[in-house]
Amino acid sequence: MNARLISKVMAVLTGIVSAAMIWPLLWALHDGTADAQAFVISMVLGLTLSGLLLFAGRNADFKKVRIQDAFVVVSLSWVVASVIGALPYYLHGMVPTYTDAFYEAMSGFTTTGGSVLVDIEVHPRGLLFWRALTHWIGGMGIIVLSLAILPFIGVGGIHLYKAEVPGFAVEKLTPRLHRTALRLWGVYILLTAAQVVLLHLGGMSLFESLAHSFSTIATGGLSPLNRSIAHYNSAYFDWVITFFMFISGINFVLHYRFLLGNFGIHGRDEECRVYSGIVLFSIVTTAVVLLRSGVYSTVSDALRYGAFQVVSVITSTGFFTADYEQWPAYTHFLFILLMFLGGSTGSTAGGLKALRVLALARLVRAETVSSLHPRGVFPVRVRGRIATSEARASITTFFVLYMAIFALGAAVLAALGLDFITAVSGSASALGNTGPGFGAIGPTDNFSAIPMAAKWVLCLLMLMGRLELYTVLLIARPSVWKG
Amino acid sequence: MHFRLVSKVLSLLSATVSLSMVWPLFWALRDGTGDAHAFVVSMVFGLTFSGLLFVPGWREPYKDLGVKDGYIVVGLTWLIASTIGALPYYLHGCTSSFAGAFFEAASGFTTTGATVLADIEACPRGILFWRSLTHWLGGMGIIVFTLALLPFLGVRGMELYRAEVPGPVAEKVTPRIHQTALYLWGIYTMLTLSESVFLMFGGMNFFEAVTHSFGTIATGGFSPLNKSIGQYGSLYFETVITLFMFLSGANFALHYRFLRGDARAFARDEEFRTYVWIVLASVGVITVDLLLRGNYGSLWQALRHSGFQVVSVMTTTGYITADFEYWPALSQWILLLLMVVGGCAGSTGGGVKVLRFLLLSRHSRAEFKRILHPRMILHVRVGGKIVDDAVVGSVATFFVLYMTIFAAGVLTLTALGLDVLSALSGAAATLGNVGPALGVLGPMDNFGVVSEGALWVFSALMLLGRLELYTLLLLLVPGTWRK
Repeated sequence: MNARLISKVMAVLTGIVSAAMIWPLLWALHDGTADAQAFVISMVLGLTLSGLLLFAGRNADFKKVRIQDAFVVVSLSWVVASVIGALPYYLHGMVPTYTDAFYEAMSGFTTTGGSVLVDIEVHPRGLLFWRALTHWIGGMGIIVLSLAILPFIGVGGIHLYKAEVPGFAVEKLTPRLHRTALRLWGVYILLTAAQVVLLHLGGMSLFESLAHSFSTIATGGLSPLNRSIAHYNSAYFDWVITFFMFISGINFVLHYRFLLGNFGIHGRDEECRVYSGIVLFSIVTTAVVLLRSGVYSTVSDALRYGAFQVVSVITSTGFFTADYEQWPAYTHFLFILLMFLGGSTGSTAGGLKALRVLALARLVRAETVSSLHPRGVFPVRVRGRIATSEARASITTFFVLYMAIFALGAAVLAALGLDFITAVSGSASALGNTGPGFGAIGPTDNFSAIPMAAKWVLCLLMLMGRLELYTVLLIARPSVWKG
Repeated sequence: MHFRLVSKVLSLLSATVSLSMVWPLFWALRDGTGDAHAFVVSMVFGLTFSGLLFVPGWREPYKDLGVKDGYIVVGLTWLIASTIGALPYYLHGCTSSFAGAFFEAASGFTTTGATVLADIEACPRGILFWRSLTHWLGGMGIIVFTLALLPFLGVRGMELYRAEVPGPVAEKVTPRIHQTALYLWGIYTMLTLSESVFLMFGGMNFFEAVTHSFGTIATGGFSPLNKSIGQYGSLYFETVITLFMFLSGANFALHYRFLRGDARAFARDEEFRTYVWIVLASVGVITVDLLLRGNYGSLWQALRHSGFQVVSVMTTTGYITADFEYWPALSQWILLLLMVVGGCAGSTGGGVKVLRFLLLSRHSRAEFKRILHPRMILHVRVGGKIVDDAVVGSVATFFVLYMTIFAAGVLTLTALGLDVLSALSGAAATLGNVGPALGVLGPMDNFGVVSEGALWVFSALMLLGRLELYTLLLLLVPGTWRK
């Protein structure tokens, strides 16, 4: 293991996270609230740590990046960011324990959106801004991770879209990282800005527009309001946010190409079509069920609330405009399924991802046909490319692991005293980076009453879900740590 | 498809099912109850149907049976058997609708053991005997049974055998398919006889001993008593039944080898060892959970009930001695997972099968190694033997398909008005051929409470599960029916 290199990368990361606290600090100073102090202390601590790590990592050799190092760097990134990011919450006393603070920060950086806060609105705006900002920073990290780092490592069937990232097929990790990041962050910032403008035009305050946009584009879900988007009861805000959540669940490379003038790219992309198809199916059936059960009496209401909730869950955002626990059972199970499916690869959404779902469906189809023709060879094509046997193995293993970790997570949560529905939906929700679930952690509840140990389990699940399982699982192997 | 030949083979198979009604008819005549009439009419109907099927192809030679024909014959046989088998229930009037009667018959043949009868003991013994006999016929397989009876079918029997026998690879204990079928049925009958003797030795009457043995060895779960095995409250009966359930959940090829003098046949088999470990671990965890949550006062009581329920659920039998509806969340979750795991390949148990999970876990481990060492040549081994990549691939797709059908089943059931817990556990229990579930379908409840539409969905899940998905799904693929 290249300890110096890891140390140096962590130093940069710690520096970035600490420096980012300047924005919430400005809000705190502007409002004159006491959280300014917490931010200053956190920044000092973070920058000191960054300096120490920088010293430890001097003369790091960036030419010898091994796959093992990449795993360690990626996994540690989110942990270290959360350790630092939790400081303001803890120091200000917003939460009673460091566990809660860490949970809140991890939920932020992994863009999950589960919160331990009982009453959100009583807290100063600096801290609330920091929550939203952790989403936004986390989302940026995910885009780089999924489009530049994971293809380099080649996990979970990512082979299939390696070449999708423009012009990077043969380059080394570092230059690719750099250029991909800049291009895609541009798109990311542009989308955020567009949403801020649209929300602000609709009459939302600048603070709330920013916080909600950060949360939307990162598909996070933390809101500065107790009742999330339901607070406004505005069809305009609902549809604007639905639209941006939907967009954020699509591969950012497609958006990039779209902005370069390739306007038909979304329609031609198989994954985007599957994702849109699932969303459409879910919205229509949800609206029908809502109408038939009498939850909403008009088609436009059923569509508005149904669409918002469906898109919020499938993109793993976790905003809500209605208490969907009161909705019929069909929507409950549909939402649990959507938590598993998730958005597209190369987006900020979590879950299995539409590309893998598509590939799995094609694999099943090929297998069915081949049982009729035992001697036939049936290639599986995804996005026009034939899946190699490695890609096939990689995708199915990902699915198996995802289900296994989900099952184990639910078992551990149940062992820690959570009830059946809370444990099962909590595991699915954390692993899919959605946020709220059902039972004791429904949309109108929060995670404060969950036992301490269960919060750590949820943090681990969020991390594994965010980092596509392998990254975290592999660093548990001793061989990764050997020199 | 060879229409004439398929029709002829189907005729023989449906005649076998119809003729087997002679046994419950004896009970009915002996007791002088009204169900005798129902059995006579059902037999006449079944045999007429069989006669009509025989006409078109009576001169066709058996050797022309192809791969596609094999799937068609097996798939249709199970549908026809469930329809003919449903007639006595429907005609006698112990179920109010045909959907209920079909459900009961499908539940019998697929060895699920879920019932729509609210008061079982109110039904005459002929009907109760028929329920258990359908278990026994379906347990080892209607086809395997017929292959054993009719040696001339053995010419192309492998095509039929493969489509019915559970597990990733159809294992023949002897080179000749007729002989394999004979041996398997021999062992099956011997196990049934010995259990009956053990039960009668403990004081159970002949009728109950035989029906319970049928239900055990077939891992079915129908009992002629309202409170299943719990009604006796006898440790002796519970121990005997646990032991025989456990044996029936093991691969019958191992029983064969053991009886042929290979004393270490069980110990050497990796799947069997895994099976034992899963049972022991589950019993251990559930016992501790039951004690910690105060469900039982003594370790002995907790162990007794967890042992019986774990073996019953994992072997997908579904006998009960305790109402696990009131068990803590962790215990319920483990039972639900065991429903998905199921018994060993080549046993009478349902579910995904231990061997498949063993392969999947090896497969995942190989994938980890491959990521860290991309150029390494890796093989999946079970029992020291390399498993063909194609088999591993098809096992992985099977798991994906299993989960997909499970999810689609739950979604449909919730759309039909079931709550999430009942739909989720009900789908797992029917697809895995277990029987009792949770929620409104708990061990002390029955499936009579759900709508007719839901009953058809459950019936479909049971048949899909028993025939390991593909055999039935292929009937829906147009290519299967082409020449």
